[in-house]
Amino acid sequence: MSRTMTRTVSRTAMPAPAEPAAPAVDRPRSDPTEVTGPLRDRPTRHQSFLVYEHFRFLKIAVLAVVVSIVLYAVDAPYGTRYGGTWAGYTLGTVGALLILWLLWFGYRKRSYLKDQGNLVGWLSAHVYLGLALLVIATLHTGFHFGWNIHTLAYGLMCLVIASGAFGVYCYVRYPRLMTENRHGVILPQMLGRIAGLDDELRKAALTVDDRTAALIERSTESTAIGGSLWQQLSGHYPNCATAAALSGVDRIARGAAPEQEAAMRQIRVMLDEKAQLLARARRDISYKAMMDIWLYFHVPVSFALLAALLAHVISVFYLW
Amino acid sequence: MQAEITMLTRRGAATVRRAHQVTSDSIRFGRGTDNEVVLPDIRVGLSAAVLHRRPEGLFIEQVGDTPLRHNGSTIRVAQLNPGDVIQIGPYEIALSAPPEGLDAAFSVELVQPMGDAMQRLTRQSRIGLERTHLSKRRASWALFLALIALCIAAPIIAYEYGGKARSPTVVASGGGAAGVSRASWNPGELSNQHRYFAKDCGTCHQSAFTEVKDSACMTCHSGIGNHIAQTGGSGLEQVRARLQQSRCADCHVEHRGINSLVIREGALCIDCHRSLAETAPKAGILDVGDFPQNHPQFRATVVANPVAPTFTKVSLEGTLQPADHPGLHFSHAAHLVPQGFPVLGYKPLGCADCHKPEPSGQGFQPITFKADCQRCHYENLTVDAILPGKVLPHGDDKGVANMVEGFYASLVVERGVPQSQNSAVERRLPGAAASAPLPQDARAWVKQKTREALAIIYDPKRGCFECHLPDSSKGPFRVAPVVMRTRFFPAARFDHAKHAAVSCDDCHAARQARSSADVLIPGKERCVTCHGTENASFRAQSTCLTCHIFHRQDLGPMRKTVGLPAAGAREADLALPTATTGAKP
Repeated sequence: MSRTMTRTVSRTAMPAPAEPAAPAVDRPRSDPTEVTGPLRDRPTRHQSFLVYEHFRFLKIAVLAVVVSIVLYAVDAPYGTRYGGTWAGYTLGTVGALLILWLLWFGYRKRSYLKDQGNLVGWLSAHVYLGLALLVIATLHTGFHFGWNIHTLAYGLMCLVIASGAFGVYCYVRYPRLMTENRHGVILPQMLGRIAGLDDELRKAALTVDDRTAALIERSTESTAIGGSLWQQLSGHYPNCATAAALSGVDRIARGAAPEQEAAMRQIRVMLDEKAQLLARARRDISYKAMMDIWLYFHVPVSFALLAALLAHVISVFYLW
Repeated sequence: MQAEITMLTRRGAATVRRAHQVTSDSIRFGRGTDNEVVLPDIRVGLSAAVLHRRPEGLFIEQVGDTPLRHNGSTIRVAQLNPGDVIQIGPYEIALSAPPEGLDAAFSVELVQPMGDAMQRLTRQSRIGLERTHLSKRRASWALFLALIALCIAAPIIAYEYGGKARSPTVVASGGGAAGVSRASWNPGELSNQHRYFAKDCGTCHQSAFTEVKDSACMTCHSGIGNHIAQTGGSGLEQVRARLQQSRCADCHVEHRGINSLVIREGALCIDCHRSLAETAPKAGILDVGDFPQNHPQFRATVVANPVAPTFTKVSLEGTLQPADHPGLHFSHAAHLVPQGFPVLGYKPLGCADCHKPEPSGQGFQPITFKADCQRCHYENLTVDAILPGKVLPHGDDKGVANMVEGFYASLVVERGVPQSQNSAVERRLPGAAASAPLPQDARAWVKQKTREALAIIYDPKRGCFECHLPDSSKGPFRVAPVVMRTRFFPAARFDHAKHAAVSCDDCHAARQARSSADVLIPGKERCVTCHGTENASFRAQSTCLTCHIFHRQDLGPMRKTVGLPAAGAREADLALPTATTGAKP
């Protein structure tokens, strides 16, 4: 890992899309540096949270679902099934405690120093038991829905679970895409290369005509990576100065004086390299943004769910 | 022109000066190396500005696009004096008084050096969503607090204070925002019966964190009927205690939909009724399971003795059991002959000719002689041979006796005691016993004649006792009371109106019934042709409540909130409210 992190970047190593990926020995199949959040301090020997301990938590979740369904089926109250029968209360209590425990994960994943099982295990449990919660809570409702805070709590829970499921999808999809995109070069290295290119472009521009120099200046001055939410998510930069410089330089080079040809060619090569590096860096940021954006929904809605859950429990017993 | 140019370079606190003199027509500034003053920075044009000497003095003029400033003002051309400061891009050119022999003197310094490219790049880049305007923490707090306020605080305030104004107007209007707040807690659709006051939760939920008490229900339902009588009955103490411990909410649920106020599952009743033979062995109540398989055969309550009167239950297993004793000789079969009767123009009688439905259509009005028998049996009230032109009063034994006695008394008054035996009553009916010799005493004669006449009137072949039973305990010419049931199942209800599509014959075997003792009420097997279990797919779904009523108004109030139990109320199954009617004339 440290070798990857500290590897110096040389501009002369032409980073083109066609460049083969960095030697596999340098990087594990899935580099820990490219994932964030709950996976950050997982064990070196990689094990996906989905298959953690031979699907231990999947099995537990399936068991919980089966037990819940049996409980629901066995309960034969007078009138219709609902949350207030003995099975309803049981499912509701289990569901509420499960929600609190799932929320606790948000705190737990920040407490790096505590040894409460490793985070992959926690994440695995969070994912599978969170999905099981959907069944448990649905059975708790007895399929009664209405325009009230009880269904609001249920709806919020569904939104949280759905966004979490989207998060799982992102965690499965984007790390692989990021690995493929990076070719063994992490984002700070890309930035270093881009900065180096900027320096060299600026030197090279001293000798060329003003229009070219102006294009290069804008490219070096206003090279921005990341930016607004939309830019980070989409990786779409319509006003990219480097792209403009590239096309401008191409136009100018056609009518350039013969003595400037070599300089223009060098500038052209450097701009091209910079554009490719930028595209990769922006793609990397876009993937990372996709891996993070759902949390900006998942977490606040989880807290809304906590409030709605409190309201649900309090209201039921306040007006018993 | 000749000029002295000093290039200043700062290295920390030290300043390096490199001065040189230039001789030229004009002094050009720019990035290009052909300039007299080379400004090696990408932000400066190849040619940026040019300094001229004219008779009026020194002038600087912009060349190209590189911004040119003179003492802070952007200019294209400006006259220069010692002490002026020119800016060309990131460079600052400060003019000083030229030494002797020179035209100009100035220093050149790069005052805005290009920053480190990496630093600049990092500074300009916003990487990571945490550096956008999004904030998980802010959004979480906002949503959490908003929901706490809207979903917990507001409804509680509305319940505790908004609802205190429980005036009809506030309740009727829904209480505005408070009403909406309260409604947000409503866990389900209200029953239709309770909607009109349910906007105020406190009507039923009278205190927080306690279950709804029966007292809340009793506010309106204080007189609700009991399930069994509060006293009497044998061995029902345990059942009574259990019923007293029960809550209204055990059987009645709210917030489960518009028509869901009553739990209709038979299991709720069967919970007790499956083992009443054990719990209350002396009460004689049969154990019941789900209908129809585990429901016992129906038992009709029939008359055991019309004189007392006493009643008994008879199982309807089989058909036409001679068990009922209404105090009449009556054959349905004889009345339902297809050829009809002369008095009716040979039109056959139908059920509806005698059995008139109640206004509700549920049951039938009591049968009376006057309404249902008399039009055919009028002649039974006349005995022209004895009492020409007289009509005997039906249902009035004393009246009949008085009428006969009066007839003979008036005869004596008018004609004296007949000496001859050829009296008006000499003609005897075939088989009648020969008259005893008439006493000479008038009183004795009248009594004798009256007794003989009554024997004919009450004759068992064609007189009163053709239909009626004698009540010998009261005398020779006394008719036993008639007790006919209009309800054979006092603990159940059968709505004939709802079964109007079924013909009478489908259930009642009246055409085969030759005796009034025959019980024509069908057994369970007739019902199950149409009625099935409460979950039946191809039968009418039937629960206990389809036929039975829990709250029996006739058994006194359910809760001891009002008065004492009805005096002498009998055991539930044998209590016969409106079930019995004495015979009416």
